[in-house]
Amino acid sequence: MTAKTLVNSKLVCVALNDKAQLAALEGTFNEAPYKKPPTQPVLYYKPRNTWSTEGAVVEWAKDFDGNDVAEMAVGASLGVVIGKETCRVSAEEALDYVGGYTIVADYSLPEQSYYRPDIKGKCLDTSAPVGPEIVAADKVATPEALTVTISVNGEQKSVFELANMERSVAELISIISRIMTLQPGEIIAVGFAGDRVAVNKGDKVEASIEGVGTLNNTLGGA
Amino acid sequence: MRHARIILDGRELDITIDANDRITTSAGEALDVALDSDQITWLPPVKAPGTIFALGINYADHATELAFEPPKEPLVFIKHANTLTGHKQVSYRPDNIDYQHYECELVAVIGKTGKNIKREDALDYVAGYTVCNDFAIRDYLENYYRPNLRVKSRDSLLPMGPWIVDTADIPNANALKLTTTVNGKVTQDGSTKDMIFDVPFVIEYLSKIMTLNPGDMICTGTPHGIVDCQPGDTIVCSIEDVCSLETRMVSEQEYYGDKY
Repeated sequence: MTAKTLVNSKLVCVALNDKAQLAALEGTFNEAPYKKPPTQPVLYYKPRNTWSTEGAVVEWAKDFDGNDVAEMAVGASLGVVIGKETCRVSAEEALDYVGGYTIVADYSLPEQSYYRPDIKGKCLDTSAPVGPEIVAADKVATPEALTVTISVNGEQKSVFELANMERSVAELISIISRIMTLQPGEIIAVGFAGDRVAVNKGDKVEASIEGVGTLNNTLGGA
Repeated sequence: MRHARIILDGRELDITIDANDRITTSAGEALDVALDSDQITWLPPVKAPGTIFALGINYADHATELAFEPPKEPLVFIKHANTLTGHKQVSYRPDNIDYQHYECELVAVIGKTGKNIKREDALDYVAGYTVCNDFAIRDYLENYYRPNLRVKSRDSLLPMGPWIVDTADIPNANALKLTTTVNGKVTQDGSTKDMIFDVPFVIEYLSKIMTLNPGDMICTGTPHGIVDCQPGDTIVCSIEDVCSLETRMVSEQEYYGDKY
């Protein structure tokens, strides 16, 4: 485990929160095994073995035979850092419970299915760098006005305007706080661009949000 | 030896319990209190809870009950400490649902850090066993990362305990009678021998993906015999030679009080 992780006890990620991705997958989601589009936020955890930091090397994953996997991908999200105990809050008051903002990168195997919890794809050691720091909540007036970009080896690969999220930060905090009581330092990664960015061994990845910072990591295995 | 965490006379204590039910604190103090005393408040038994791995449909008969093919590899989902509560504590049933059921499960508590652990070495990484009740709210199931967090990750949905039994005291974790009673009536009567993927298999499987750490827990799934539970019900999940875990169901309003 990484000693300097910014995460306290829980990192909740929201999948399928990109309106364009939901629209593109609507046909798929009306068929088996999904049968109908999601009615609630689609959530997954990055457990503690995944938590990592600014500047860290992200391990290249192995398959079950111990060989390097062929492909990995990265997504980046605004990380909402909970500032005080948050239990069953309304969307109107939700932002009062935010202590700050940071960046969460989610390295994984390519997302192929959303049907079962993606333990093999998402729970890889060191696959969730968080940072570079926590910016105080009052520095960000409207989280939905932010844009998340990903560059690989200096070339911009992904631009995601948070105005295109299906559910806002406040809505997500409210809904999640009705499932579980959130504690200070717990982080919600509120949304990723639907198109994850393919990465290779040795790639240098920058995830940036203006006003929040730039999170730099390097893929291992080179 | 058995290990637990309790509150007694306002003091939070780590205790061990010997074969004669005598209780000793981690500071060596002998406690003059009976295990079934109402003076004891039982806390979840893992002091620093890490990642909680839970298995779905890991008993063939339960898979049939839910109209599923038994899985070819473990169906694993993750829970966190917000779900934990102790023995003789409460769990809540949300308003306006039709079906919330218990799941009596054997839990392996990880005691040592490891990755790429082989099946034959797996039990070296297990500190001990306890019992959990991995409640599920079926109304909230959706086919996205199923079982989704709304079904399984709510506060209080994972009563656990009362204690952890050392691994060495359970020679065969796959030969234990498993029963659940609701208000004294037996509703679930199975055996851990019917588990599809046993603890060593799951440790090998998970540790090929990720590092396991002390305080991580593996909840191994439940057999046939689930029934709906209502506020006021008392549910007791028991696994032979491990422990019996009692939970009282309350309403959402009773659970959250002022925050309801």
